[in-house]
Amino acid sequence: MLDVKTQDLEVNMGPQHPATHGVMRVLVRTDGELVTGAQPHLGYLHRAAEKIGENVEWLQYLPYTDRYDYLAAMNNNLGYSLAVEALMDIEIPRRAQMIRVICAELNRIASHLVAYGTYGLDIGAFTPFLYAFREREWILMLFEKICGARLTYSYIRIGGVFNDAPPGWLDEIGHFCDVFEDKWREYVDLLMMNKIFVERTAKVGVISKEMALDFGLTGPMLRGSGVDFDLRRDCPYMIYDEIWQAGAYEIPVGTGEQGVLGDSWDRFYVRVQEMLESLKIVRWCLANIEEGPTIGELPKTLKVPAGEAYVGIENPRGELGHYVVSDGGKVAVRCRVRGPSFVNLAVLEDLLPNTLLADTVAIIGSTDIVVGETDR
Amino acid sequence: MNNGNIFLDLLVRFAPEGTPSWLLDLSAAGVGVGILVAMVSVIAMFCVWMERKVAGHIQCRYGPMYVGGWHGWAQSIADGVKLLLKEDMIPIGADRPLFVLAPALVLGSIFAALAALPLAPGVFFADIDLGLFFILAMSSMTTIGVVMAGWASASKWTVYGAMREAAQVVAYEIPLGISLMVPLIVAGTFNLNEASALQSGWYGMHWYIFQNPFVLPAFALFFISALAETKRAPFDLPEAESELVAGFMTEYSGIRWSFFFMEEYAAMFLMSVVAAVFFLGGFESPFTSLARDVFGEQHFLASLTAGLVLLVKAFGGIFLMMWLRWTLPRVRIDQVMTMGYKYLTPLALLCVLGASIFEALWLGVA
Amino acid sequence: MDFQALYAHLQAQGAAGLGGCDEPRAKDPEDKQDKGRAGDPFVLVAVEQLPAFLQLCRDDEALGFEVLIDLSAVDPAAEDEDLWLVIQLLSLRHRHRLMIKSMVPKATPCAPTVAPVYRAAQWHERECAEMFGITFEGHSDPRHILLPEDWVGYPLRKDYVFPKEYRGVSCE
Repeated sequence: MLDVKTQDLEVNMGPQHPATHGVMRVLVRTDGELVTGAQPHLGYLHRAAEKIGENVEWLQYLPYTDRYDYLAAMNNNLGYSLAVEALMDIEIPRRAQMIRVICAELNRIASHLVAYGTYGLDIGAFTPFLYAFREREWILMLFEKICGARLTYSYIRIGGVFNDAPPGWLDEIGHFCDVFEDKWREYVDLLMMNKIFVERTAKVGVISKEMALDFGLTGPMLRGSGVDFDLRRDCPYMIYDEIWQAGAYEIPVGTGEQGVLGDSWDRFYVRVQEMLESLKIVRWCLANIEEGPTIGELPKTLKVPAGEAYVGIENPRGELGHYVVSDGGKVAVRCRVRGPSFVNLAVLEDLLPNTLLADTVAIIGSTDIVVGETDR
Repeated sequence: MNNGNIFLDLLVRFAPEGTPSWLLDLSAAGVGVGILVAMVSVIAMFCVWMERKVAGHIQCRYGPMYVGGWHGWAQSIADGVKLLLKEDMIPIGADRPLFVLAPALVLGSIFAALAALPLAPGVFFADIDLGLFFILAMSSMTTIGVVMAGWASASKWTVYGAMREAAQVVAYEIPLGISLMVPLIVAGTFNLNEASALQSGWYGMHWYIFQNPFVLPAFALFFISALAETKRAPFDLPEAESELVAGFMTEYSGIRWSFFFMEEYAAMFLMSVVAAVFFLGGFESPFTSLARDVFGEQHFLASLTAGLVLLVKAFGGIFLMMWLRWTLPRVRIDQVMTMGYKYLTPLALLCVLGASIFEALWLGVA
Repeated sequence: MDFQALYAHLQAQGAAGLGGCDEPRAKDPEDKQDKGRAGDPFVLVAVEQLPAFLQLCRDDEALGFEVLIDLSAVDPAAEDEDLWLVIQLLSLRHRHRLMIKSMVPKATPCAPTVAPVYRAAQWHERECAEMFGITFEGHSDPRHILLPEDWVGYPLRKDYVFPKEYRGVSCE
């Protein structure tokens, strides 16, 4: 017999690797195709957003919020605005709230479309990505019409929204909703129910309910593990409670119907279903929107009363928390951002060992991280 | 055409008296290789363009539209020129001789395999009695080149790609070979020309898949194995771009990289032609038999029709492979292995058994 | 439960280290210096008692805080003697939140790790440690997380001086 010495192979997955969805690095220790250990390394995209928040005025910070989860900039704007408004005594006009919800939910659809498409890419199916981007493009065009930007909107402001919707914009969204519903069925048939896709994602990267809670997972990661919790319904902000009371939407929760509860497929399933629920919310808003002002009364120089507030909102990736501390001045004392991707990513350390290399990619994809947010 | 090489025939006809025969042989071989390389290159380039068009239309876009005017037909040529002009890069840690040799070996073996293909009835580069055997042997050689490339690149990702390729090809050579035994049982010959000729009759529809009920499942098995053999999706694990960056060819660039690319399309063409010859009637089709009736058995136009029919069948197979690639996700390595060893191989053996029994009863051989 | 009920319950349970609470209040019209206090209420907890306090929050049925949402720190001012360690808890069962604040003296910036109670705290503590220089005693993985390993200083402290260069790269 030959005396063959074997050893584990350490591979750097990243910082530039197609599966890490940006500049993240996972140090993977492998034995052949089997992953025996994984260590995520972050910080390649760290832009010191929290420090910037302590150095610019309240309103000036808004464009920086666009840049942490750049796939859901509307939601980031909203989270920050709500946190600052929690310190201020300010009335948000109803029309502004409606437009905020419409934009946030459309952005959620756009973000989940990217999650859908890139997860397809991770699994090896190229075409769903382009189908998803076709509809995403439409949403971005709608956003461009209302605020002029396609990715970093800075549209939802402290006190309301920047401007009213242009004429015909709401009708266009109605048209989009009708078309999107048909396209959505295509997504389900093409990828989600594809036999190979199910084989690749079911029973892979199972997060139990206890594990999800312990790691502080939120959003689709939590609901994928079968926990029925959504901040829009359970800790309602703005008009979401009213929409829930009207019975306009439901909260999709992982069922484990293709494998084990909490596997990658369940997380994917929740995201895909959420697109449809967001669509229902948008439709409800379109039916109930009224004319009116779109921004509250704001002083010329924004001074925020002293105090501290934490506001968490349901971002496409989970709970986006803003913890703001003010001493009554023009600049924040502290502007903490609790990015859902950062927290959701931590689960990789425990999830990746004892999977195959291809599963590693499937699991990283199923956490649907945006590196801009993990690193901020 | 007695010595089995049309180029030699032509040379013998036109060469001056007294030319030594070794020179004739050598010249004929040179001409043959030249034509073969040119033909394969054109086919590969066409396939690249076709792939991009097919992918484009599947994905609600157009694909190349500008280069050359009509639907970007010259895109592949432009890409080829670009690849030729690119800087030749060899990583510092790479094993230079192996790194340089690997693409050549890959492309060389696939050319060798393609030499055994018939172009039209009686027109071929090399008429080999064990033609199919030769093709399978040569196309397996590409694996050695791939493993070589993966190892020589001195990168961890390429090693993964190479190992996957080796494991996958070993697993799928078996069902590939066994499923091909089914039409071989019906045909009784390894020679591609003869195998094709045996399917004439029934107005050109006397294909092997209609001759024996076990050839059709064998064809399905062959097609799946051929996908794995040619590293096409859903079995594109050796290059799995989302997992291994680009697998065994991660470190390659420029013209060396394009050799791997050409090999992929040449292998697709090869497998499609083998499928056409051994399952789907080869040259035979209603058009072929019609052309024979109209023009006569040996007429040039009859041969041309036969050749075109084979080409159409081959590109039909290639289109199917492309269609699958742009539709399906990729399977995992353990699923690839399970499928190859646990399902395809036993099923292929069953087909062989069934076909043998059917053939024995049908022909009354006891 | 609203905040008052939570606080009363915590007091009734004799929660370890509970040191009062702070609620928003209106500006005192008499006092010109008083700015009032807006926002959310929080409870103050002695920093050494944090793990025990969080254990109670997690395990008590009426509190039921399954999830640690956030852990971070605040440096209120350069001249201030304390850093604030701020923890956000969320109960999915009861749909309520709790903000917990602990004072960490800048002179000895140490806190016990709460990662054994809530695994979610592990990465938050790593970030907090590199940004504020708080040492989390007993932390299983005290490496930097966002900053390079050789980064000098604690960027989110108010007295942080921006470096002029990093590894020979000028930052000016």
